[in-house]
Amino acid sequence: MLGINRRYLSDFDWPLLGIAMAIAAFGVLEISSAEPNPGLWRRQLVGIGIGLFVIFVTTVLDYRRIVNLAPYLYVIGVILLALVLTPLGKEVNGNRSWLYFGSFGFQPSEFAKLFTILLLAYYLSGVKKRPLDLRTIIIAGMIWALPTALVFLENDTGSALSYSSFLVAMLFLAGLRWRWVIAALGILVLAVTFSVPYVKTCKSYKCERIKAVYWPELAEKRFRYQNDQSEIAVGSGGLFGKGLRGSTQGTLGFVPEVHNDFIYAVASEEWGFLGSFLSLTLYLLMISRLIQIARRSRERVGVLLAAGVAALLLYHVTVNVGMVVRLLPIMGIPLPLMSSGLTSVVATSFGLGLAISIRLRRFVN
Amino acid sequence: MKPIKEPGFDPIEDLRQAGTRLEILRYLALVIFVILAGRLWYLQVMNKQVYAERAEMNRTRVLTIPARRGNVFDRKGRLLASSQPSYNIVISRKDVKNFDEISNLLIENISDIERDWLSKRFEAAIYEPKYESIVVKELASKEDVQWVEAHQYEYPMIRAEEAPRRFYPNGQLAAHALGYVGEVSRTELNDKSSPFNREAGFKLGDIIGKAGIERTYNEILMGKDGERRVIVDSRGRIQKEIDRIPPEPGRDVYLTLDLDIQKIAEAQAYDMPENRGVIVVSDPTNGEIFALVSHPSYDPNVFSLKAKTDEGKTEIRDLYENPDKPLYNRVIQGTYPPGSTWKLLTTVAGLNEGVITPENSRIQDGGIQLGNYFMKSLSHLGAPDVVTAISRSADGYYYRLGLKLGPERFEKWVRTFRFGERTGIDLPREKIGILPTRAAKAMIYPRTPKWTEYDMAASAFGQGTNALTPIQLLRYVNGLAVGGQMYTPHLFLRAVAGTDRMGKKHSAVKFVDNNKFTVAMSRDTHEIVLKGMWGAVNGAGTAGAAHVEGFDVCGKTGTAQNVSTDKVGKNTKDHAWFMGFAPRDKPEISAVILTENAGFGGKQSAPRAGAIFTDYYRRTRGLKDEVLSETVARGRAGEPAKVVRN
Repeated sequence: MLGINRRYLSDFDWPLLGIAMAIAAFGVLEISSAEPNPGLWRRQLVGIGIGLFVIFVTTVLDYRRIVNLAPYLYVIGVILLALVLTPLGKEVNGNRSWLYFGSFGFQPSEFAKLFTILLLAYYLSGVKKRPLDLRTIIIAGMIWALPTALVFLENDTGSALSYSSFLVAMLFLAGLRWRWVIAALGILVLAVTFSVPYVKTCKSYKCERIKAVYWPELAEKRFRYQNDQSEIAVGSGGLFGKGLRGSTQGTLGFVPEVHNDFIYAVASEEWGFLGSFLSLTLYLLMISRLIQIARRSRERVGVLLAAGVAALLLYHVTVNVGMVVRLLPIMGIPLPLMSSGLTSVVATSFGLGLAISIRLRRFVN
Repeated sequence: MKPIKEPGFDPIEDLRQAGTRLEILRYLALVIFVILAGRLWYLQVMNKQVYAERAEMNRTRVLTIPARRGNVFDRKGRLLASSQPSYNIVISRKDVKNFDEISNLLIENISDIERDWLSKRFEAAIYEPKYESIVVKELASKEDVQWVEAHQYEYPMIRAEEAPRRFYPNGQLAAHALGYVGEVSRTELNDKSSPFNREAGFKLGDIIGKAGIERTYNEILMGKDGERRVIVDSRGRIQKEIDRIPPEPGRDVYLTLDLDIQKIAEAQAYDMPENRGVIVVSDPTNGEIFALVSHPSYDPNVFSLKAKTDEGKTEIRDLYENPDKPLYNRVIQGTYPPGSTWKLLTTVAGLNEGVITPENSRIQDGGIQLGNYFMKSLSHLGAPDVVTAISRSADGYYYRLGLKLGPERFEKWVRTFRFGERTGIDLPREKIGILPTRAAKAMIYPRTPKWTEYDMAASAFGQGTNALTPIQLLRYVNGLAVGGQMYTPHLFLRAVAGTDRMGKKHSAVKFVDNNKFTVAMSRDTHEIVLKGMWGAVNGAGTAGAAHVEGFDVCGKTGTAQNVSTDKVGKNTKDHAWFMGFAPRDKPEISAVILTENAGFGGKQSAPRAGAIFTDYYRRTRGLKDEVLSETVARGRAGEPAKVVRN
């Protein structure tokens, strides 16, 4: 185990922490602008504090020890996800993804994602085969399927899909045959193509949200509204934005969930293209950094773990920003570190902590 | 975890291959980044203007501040119609999820709302368009408005809307002259020929004049609405006001009405036996109307204060369904045979055409055999002169005078007095009536279109096809009073300077009579008319009940035979006319009175004129009340005096 010594301090990934803190600080600023109620941004600061502590603990510990705990963590994660479906769970905005113990509530799926990444890394790194055989793929698929199914039952499609993001990335890195990759892509393209006519006529709220983006004239007005307002918020920001607290779309309530899933809309409105481009660049740098850590790792488990976290973050950023700029349908996916929410911030910090821990131990074997 | 050597697994090669695939992942991230950044560029840089405008439209609303309508005063500056600042409590329907909850809330916090009434209101609202708001309280009290404004954030669906209300402090008084106001209708807005269409700048919800001078002088009375530009949130709650253009009130209008005369005229109309009739009083020297009563009347406040409540809607429906037609202005829309009042026209025609002369005007009176029909006459005065014929209303005299005139000359004089045309009084929807002419007969009786001697004799004394409006008769009696100068009867005296609804400035305006004309009447002819009409009141004539001691009233009664096909009941009884003026040599006041289905004019209408003239005479000459009471008592033919004081 690595103590806090000079090596810890000099090898620690300060740039990655710096990028993460810059994003988080920007998030606090925008939360305070979007929602004048000081409770929210103060809560977010508390979340960041907890997140820093989690990063510290995670980096002090050897990530391999954490990976060895993966089966237990995974079971805990699955139990928590199952509890959400019991009366302990609570429905917010149509998603039953909250778990309450008294007044303390959190979203188990945020942690369950990382626990699943850990178990996949644990399992796939133990399989010393390249390319992967079918049996491995099926077992990995089963590890993925259990939490995904539970989240799906919670009606949280966005989160359920996020599990696929790191499963695909980790299988790909662990040595999925190219012909399988191409076949999977082919099936995906066909599935999308054939589902188009169905989606166009279907009236469920999920279809409506898809139509609101790609075929707005077919969508019901109330579903288009959120997309319209978010689009207006971003567009009206212009090149330089309306300045801090200058948002009208956000603060006057036109954009929904403004401190949470749509925080990027307010940020774009207040800081314009300059601000939105810059924050997007920070995310790109963060993800690149995580991929870099994966590349530098001398161990299969480190590669898979860091890449899994990178894939998860990439998914979150893509889906959230994509939905704010009306390229993707609205899904309840928070923007990592910016959206208000303790669970999300702490879970993201845990993921970053794991990556930094991998980096710290890249030469140790 | 120690790397275990497995057959066919090379950890170095594994890491190398993973590294290549990680590069692919990195490129994927870069591609996604470029797509997202491109979209941001498209929205924020290329289309900034579009979205900036949409954001602005989102957050700002322009709310109208309704302008106060101009006040209406009588000729002496006494208030007849005003606009009161007032508020409606409304609910925006689309924001209401639970009507029961809202009902409880309203009943607890807004004064005077009943549950039954409210639930009926909500039920009715189901069938109204969704975007329209439901008025739950009109004329809300100060406390109501304060409560609503204090709870705007909690209950954004409840609002207090400014809505200045037209108020007629005298209720029914002069209702037919004033008219009433109401919201412009969709039909009017879309009708190209309507003065209130969209092209003229009207919009839904505008309050316009619906009848009376409110309608005629709508352009003067309407002010320019103001505007509030406010910032609202997504639920429409007002956050801040950015700009305010204050409304400019409409211009005040002074009418020719005299509240004192109007009041006594109303009182006189009130006890008409069938509860229907007309009283118009005017200044014969210029056509200014002092009083205008069409009885029964209505309270115009119903339309402006209660039009949106159930109670008010019922009242308005009742007004429309009432068989006595209170909304109908009998003064300008009722057409009646003129009866003997018409004899003056035949007189003027006969004198002007030389059929009779001032020196030699004697003609045989009494019944006459025309073909196989004998026309009876109530009078048998031998061969009276024209003055006696007028004052004693000698029917037989006029049968013969008519026959001597013949239709051509007779019709020429009907046209000279411009019967069959609108007088041009400043009230909407005036009727023209029907003339006693050959063309009219041919049109009305297509099977017996031929003009007979009977038609000539009947037309000459005021029957036949003849039907005219009381206002036409008023212009006629005014012309007779002043010797042939025919002024347009009117209600508009002047309007003060101000702004119109489009924001244009106007200076003060006075009434200009563009429609006056003269009927040639020699001094002798005029003298005969005056003598005859004076005699009718002050001699042994038919209009004695209009006599006012010292005031030299001239007048003429008429009994209009009712040609109604309804032969059963009272509705077939004759209409009683009186027309007159005073004093004889320098007329100041004239009146036309019609009591529907009341029988003989001398008994029913002349005493009412007497009471009005007496009151006028008393006030203008500063006489004491005792004199008045006596005169009125006598004037009303033994009935108890009915004097109404302010």
